[in-house]
Amino acid sequence: MSTAPSAGPITATGTPSERNIDGQAIAITVFSTVKWWGRAFLPVLFNVTKRTPKLTTTIVQLSFIHFARWSLVTKIPYNGAPQPKQRLRYPHMYFESNFNGGWEEYIDAFSHILTSGMAAFWGSSYGFPKALPVGPFKAYIKENEIANSHYYSAYPEATITMVKAALDLDDKLAPLRRSAKGMQPDAFARAYEKMLTDAQRSL
Amino acid sequence: MADARVHIDLRDLQGDILRAYGNDYDHTSYAFVKITCPPEQARAWFSGLLDHVTTAEPWKDGKPVTTLNVAVTAAGLKALGVSDEVVASFSAEFREGMSSRAERLGDTGVSDPGAWERGLGDGSAHVLLTINAQEAEDHRRALGLMRAAMDDAGGLEIVFQQDTALLTGAREHFGYADGFAQPAVQGASDDKAPGGGVPEEDGRWRALAPGEFVLGYPDEDTRDDPKRTLPNAPADPLGKSGTYMVWRKLYQDVALWRRVMADAAELYQAGDEHKLAAKVVGRWTDGTPLVTHPDKPDPDFDATARGANDFRYSSDSDGMRCPLGSHIRRSNPRDALGFQGALTFRHRMIRRGMPYGDPLPDGKPDDRADRGLVFVSFQASISRQFEAVQMQWLNDGNIFGLGHDKDFLLGDPEGTGKMTIQGRPPFFLAPMEAVVKTRGGEYLFVPGVSALAAIADGTTG
Ligand code: HEM
Repeated sequence: MSTAPSAGPITATGTPSERNIDGQAIAITVFSTVKWWGRAFLPVLFNVTKRTPKLTTTIVQLSFIHFARWSLVTKIPYNGAPQPKQRLRYPHMYFESNFNGGWEEYIDAFSHILTSGMAAFWGSSYGFPKALPVGPFKAYIKENEIANSHYYSAYPEATITMVKAALDLDDKLAPLRRSAKGMQPDAFARAYEKMLTDAQRSL
Repeated sequence: MADARVHIDLRDLQGDILRAYGNDYDHTSYAFVKITCPPEQARAWFSGLLDHVTTAEPWKDGKPVTTLNVAVTAAGLKALGVSDEVVASFSAEFREGMSSRAERLGDTGVSDPGAWERGLGDGSAHVLLTINAQEAEDHRRALGLMRAAMDDAGGLEIVFQQDTALLTGAREHFGYADGFAQPAVQGASDDKAPGGGVPEEDGRWRALAPGEFVLGYPDEDTRDDPKRTLPNAPADPLGKSGTYMVWRKLYQDVALWRRVMADAAELYQAGDEHKLAAKVVGRWTDGTPLVTHPDKPDPDFDATARGANDFRYSSDSDGMRCPLGSHIRRSNPRDALGFQGALTFRHRMIRRGMPYGDPLPDGKPDDRADRGLVFVSFQASISRQFEAVQMQWLNDGNIFGLGHDKDFLLGDPEGTGKMTIQGRPPFFLAPMEAVVKTRGGEYLFVPGVSALAAIADGTTG
């Protein structure tokens, strides 16, 4: 990867929590230090989760979550000077997710709905209190959350659910758009009503 | 019927929180008092109130003729001499106050705090005295006593007062029966669990832990915690038996509402305005739920009967009976968001509102009179309960798959938006008018009885 010469550090604007929000989208980034056994356990867990789609269906059903990603960081990639070389004494869990709605509700969903999943993913991290009660879990996430320097959303007005609804509507509107030209008014009225009925979850 | 495993100290709790005074009182006045004197002087007056405060203890000799309840704002705590350190132990949103959170609450445009009534949201409201009375005569007498005590003490001023009275049939100004669907609380109203509690598997319901509404008790998060930790609360002794209160004066433009509904109904199912009105709220105007009675109200519907509120939304997941965006489906989605209510059960509130202003008689032109709803809610967390519902469920529709659609009953200060009424074909209500406007409001704390005494004695730590 080639990078342009650095013009110095990019300074972030806004308060840390504001910098994690762009329009409807909120970003969450959490680093936690992993105990020695997590280094062996987590790759196995990730593998099993990946191969067993059933384990991730719940997260997919939580429609306000765009994605959630856990990964294990064992070393910090070196990009050459002036970056200092750094050794990680402990592996770290890197968690990133984007969602719509509120931070509190997001963590609530994790705690109450994905209780055992949270324990599996974060159980090997130092200081993890358990996913329930949610009070200490929120405090833990807050403590380890880092603020973005910059966060960008291409459609700040839209949520993921809205984008999906728009695509669905487009699919349902397209056939009518094609066939409408030659229709008589009453046939068009019927076709239009049918389209509205079919597409109402996206309207 | 109360769950014996949970004991709520009703003597230490103020009245009208867990158990409604309900329709026992026709008249309610809310007086916001500003303290202009030194804290010691204010505390002398405050301690004089204590003997008159109505607690949650069941009434032995019938209902009192009048009741008095006391709440304080963050500025009020300071004016009464509570230390900054203790005030800092209260929740951030309470300390900031409602007007500082206007943007997130949707109090913009016509509802902007800049246009609120004097005395609300400007830091001058310190103590809220709520007086209930059965008869107009008792009401006048109680208000007189309140004013006399203030005059005697000196250095006190009523900066805002709202008098309210029940409308016939416990209706609010748009004509709907209001105020009966309430959360079921463990140890207080366990018998209301079906429909009022948390929906569980096998069709059962569970009453909510008392700490969702009263501080100093386990809440839904800590009820099963083996360590028996208690949820966050202000520093003791203020943290015991208290609750947070949201007070909002919501103006209702009845003439505009009637015009909007009449115009829209011309295009709806052969002019069925009654049904259209039911679709907006999710209940017929007499309170019959649409989920159970989609075609017509139940002439025998009794909102207080056992099981009257016992319904779920999963049998109507497409909203054909009760629209996905109707007021009650938004404000308490029960199981509508799936996961056995896991996304909804932490966002409940006890509502104790009262209509204010004279009703606009049917068919009468707009008289431009001030009328609406004094919205009152009690909850352990203003941000998690009231604000989350207001922001994410009423002022936005994303979680329900409704984009940015807002609650049609509350309208839109910007005059945009729409409501989809699911059907074959669906029907659209548009555009949304600002039928409800915020005229002012405050975030308050309702101390327990021993906490009131500690404030009066200056021993809050
Ligand atoms: C002028 C404004 C409002 C009017 C006219 C109004 C009217 C109503 C009516 C007619 C009902 C159904 C009867 C009942 O369940 O008691 C209801 C229920 C409810 N409302 Fe409102 N409301 C207003 C504002 C609000 C606001 C601002 C909130 C919350 C932020 C809210 C929260 C609720 C809740 C939680 C329920 C009970 C739903 C259930 O448990 O099924 N309302 N309201």
